[in-house]
Amino acid sequence: MNAQAIRKDIRKWIFKPETSSLLIFLLMLLITVLLQKNFFESQSLVRSINAFAPLILMTMGQAIVMISGTIDLSAGPALSLMTCVLTYIMKTNDPVTGVTAFIVTLLVAVLIGVINGFGAGYLRIPPVILTFATSYIWLGAALFIRPTPGGQTVDWFKAFYDFGSVKNAPAGLVAFGKVIPPALLLVLIGCVLWYILSKTRTGRYLYAVGSNGDSAYASGINTAKLQMKAFILNALYIFLASLFFVGQNLSGDARMGDPMTLKAIAAAVVGGIAMSGGRGSVYFAIIGALIMSLVNKIIFFANIPNAYQTLVSGLIVVAAISSSMIYTKVSHSEKNKENA
Amino acid sequence: MNALEVTGIRKCFGGVVALSNGNLVCQFGKITGLLGANGSGKSTISKIITGVYAADEGEIKYNGKAIKYRNPHEAKRDGIAMIFQNLSLIPDLTVWQNIVLGAETKKGMFLNNKQAKILSQEIIGQLQPGLDINRKVSELNPGEMQIVEIAKAISSEPRLLILDEPTAALEQEQVQNLFKYMRRLRHQGVSMIFTSHRIWEVMEICQDVIIFRNGENVGAINSEVEAMDPEKIISFITGEANHRQFTKADHKPSDDTVLRIKDLNYGKSLKNISFDLKKGEVLGIGGLAGQGQSELMLALAGSFPQLKGEAYINGKKIRLIRPKTAIRNNILLVPGDRQLEGLLMNHSLYTNMIFPKLAQKRQPLFTPRKKYRKECQDIIKALSIKAHSLDTVVGTLSGGNQQKVVVGKWLSFSTSVLLLADPAKGVDVGAKREMYEYILKEVKDKQMSIILYASDSEELMQYCDRLMIMYEGKAVAMLTGEEINEDTIVATSMRIRQ
Repeated sequence: MNAQAIRKDIRKWIFKPETSSLLIFLLMLLITVLLQKNFFESQSLVRSINAFAPLILMTMGQAIVMISGTIDLSAGPALSLMTCVLTYIMKTNDPVTGVTAFIVTLLVAVLIGVINGFGAGYLRIPPVILTFATSYIWLGAALFIRPTPGGQTVDWFKAFYDFGSVKNAPAGLVAFGKVIPPALLLVLIGCVLWYILSKTRTGRYLYAVGSNGDSAYASGINTAKLQMKAFILNALYIFLASLFFVGQNLSGDARMGDPMTLKAIAAAVVGGIAMSGGRGSVYFAIIGALIMSLVNKIIFFANIPNAYQTLVSGLIVVAAISSSMIYTKVSHSEKNKENA
Repeated sequence: MNALEVTGIRKCFGGVVALSNGNLVCQFGKITGLLGANGSGKSTISKIITGVYAADEGEIKYNGKAIKYRNPHEAKRDGIAMIFQNLSLIPDLTVWQNIVLGAETKKGMFLNNKQAKILSQEIIGQLQPGLDINRKVSELNPGEMQIVEIAKAISSEPRLLILDEPTAALEQEQVQNLFKYMRRLRHQGVSMIFTSHRIWEVMEICQDVIIFRNGENVGAINSEVEAMDPEKIISFITGEANHRQFTKADHKPSDDTVLRIKDLNYGKSLKNISFDLKKGEVLGIGGLAGQGQSELMLALAGSFPQLKGEAYINGKKIRLIRPKTAIRNNILLVPGDRQLEGLLMNHSLYTNMIFPKLAQKRQPLFTPRKKYRKECQDIIKALSIKAHSLDTVVGTLSGGNQQKVVVGKWLSFSTSVLLLADPAKGVDVGAKREMYEYILKEVKDKQMSIILYASDSEELMQYCDRLMIMYEGKAVAMLTGEEINEDTIVATSMRIRQ
């Protein structure tokens, strides 16, 4: 490859809209590392991953739904409901109930996806209204089985949080968990799932339906079925997040997921997913989730007084989003100038 | 043997009869041309064949078997593909992804992208060599999108191909490539139905021609039996026995200069363009397609912030870098792409037509509804737009009628310079004449000046006082009076003569 071709490649890369989120992420990472001196020590890295993983999973699911041209406002309550179902079925003394809980909750996740997808895809209810309504159904169901936070878990379920805390865990596994914690494994499972998906028809059609549903339909794509699939996939990502939460907290809580919904949507947008659908990359949505997570970290380590924390975090998010918009606009006009 | 036989099709939309008695025969390995005015039912019958609409009455026989498709996908499975007039492409996918969309092949568990790219490259290479199949469709111009649309239909290897006005957005060279490809398909035994408003194209490529008027087929010409006579075809289309020849409107532009452009430059698209536009003049922009004409129109409407050059309106210097500046100085653009730039497809005729008014600076607090509705009615009448009422949704009108709305909504303005970017694209012969006559009357009455870019040189010859020929972003010739004829236009466009 000669120098000119390399330069052309670099230019092409600079003009990509995703590049802006990557640059913002690197900048915020730099700030975090400067503030938190021990950031790269293995223990604090594991802590960071544990703090980031749930949002990453929720954002990946949300990104898939948004690419298909809809949105899911019920993601947070769905997460709460799943933690409640898990802890409702599990009994501390009976390890087998863990398996039952796992399977039943997986079925609940699929059902949640089917209900949302059926309403948005087949009944054509505007997804914002539909998922706003279903979010209350999930919340109501969660409160019904668990009015107050609590519940029981089996011992081996702790493995979703930390291999070391499980009784009689094999030493090799514990050592492995020190390097690659379960949270990272869950995120990797999410990535592999999307990697496989993106190579199939479903992956391609998600973009087609989100970009122009009518054209996709005219090309013989079952758009309703596809949006249903998107919601089911989203529910599976939420399920992964719920496993982690129950492993970490050993209890279920009907309200713990509430703040996650909009955070995940914002993270997806910061990562370059278009609200209008059809555009963006699920991998870069992860970058978006990392940016949103680093905001909290920066605020914590910068010793900002409690009273201002929320305000400052809002300002950082606005700054991140607007600088990404400005970057896209500038690079776009540069690109046009070049092509003109 | 007939590949397709359609008899007695009837179709109503609400209370409007789109097709009253549609009949059509398409022979094996032949190209059948469909001609007709806007809303005569040609598009509707094509859509009924491929299952986009369901017919109220009538029968369709394909290869001797009665068929009734519920959607285009079912038709495709039987080997009937249709190239849609309203593009069915996905803007966020690449060219090759669009071409194989809905018909992806698999290799093991994953999609076979390599084979899809090879297939796409092969078809695109013949229709438009040099088009990068890895580009996103949203980055293409309308002509290139149409090429992709055609490639998409061809890629499914249909036995019957329906082309609904594929050439409206294409340039001369692309049309020739398409015709070459169509002839090759014909030799492979593919039957085709071809719709176009350009009569000469139909005469060139089709073996049979069927003419539609007011929802029924009124005439048919078989080239093997009789020669194609354009006069006869036009008389079928318009229903008038004697086709009136166009005469050049006798208006004289005054000597006052309205708009003076000096050394306009924009990237590689526009190079040192200068001209004067007189009051009441129709200045044509011609040349081969894609030589910077559409960019020039956009530049004059203030769409390019990086534009370099000087512009004077009535002697006053203005900076044409914002659309607002152009509009404030009464320079109005009628855009070429009605679907993207010209219309709110989901809204009524009335809403579409009053939008430019509401955007004006001085507006009464409450919209004078009655007055505006009356004005809109007048325009609809003047342009003979075929619509149920003012509240009809624009998206349900036929393509030609939509284009008339785009032009119509600007006509009630006190305009000093009207920029028309291919206003007659996809408009049939009769309606085209009505539209231009109306525009010319306005020019005369209101002393407007017009800059007209048309891809059809016939329109330019008929209506322009002067004609500027562009080549690679430069103005290479300014033709006046007797110089404006087919011969000179072609010669200067191709730089044969200077």
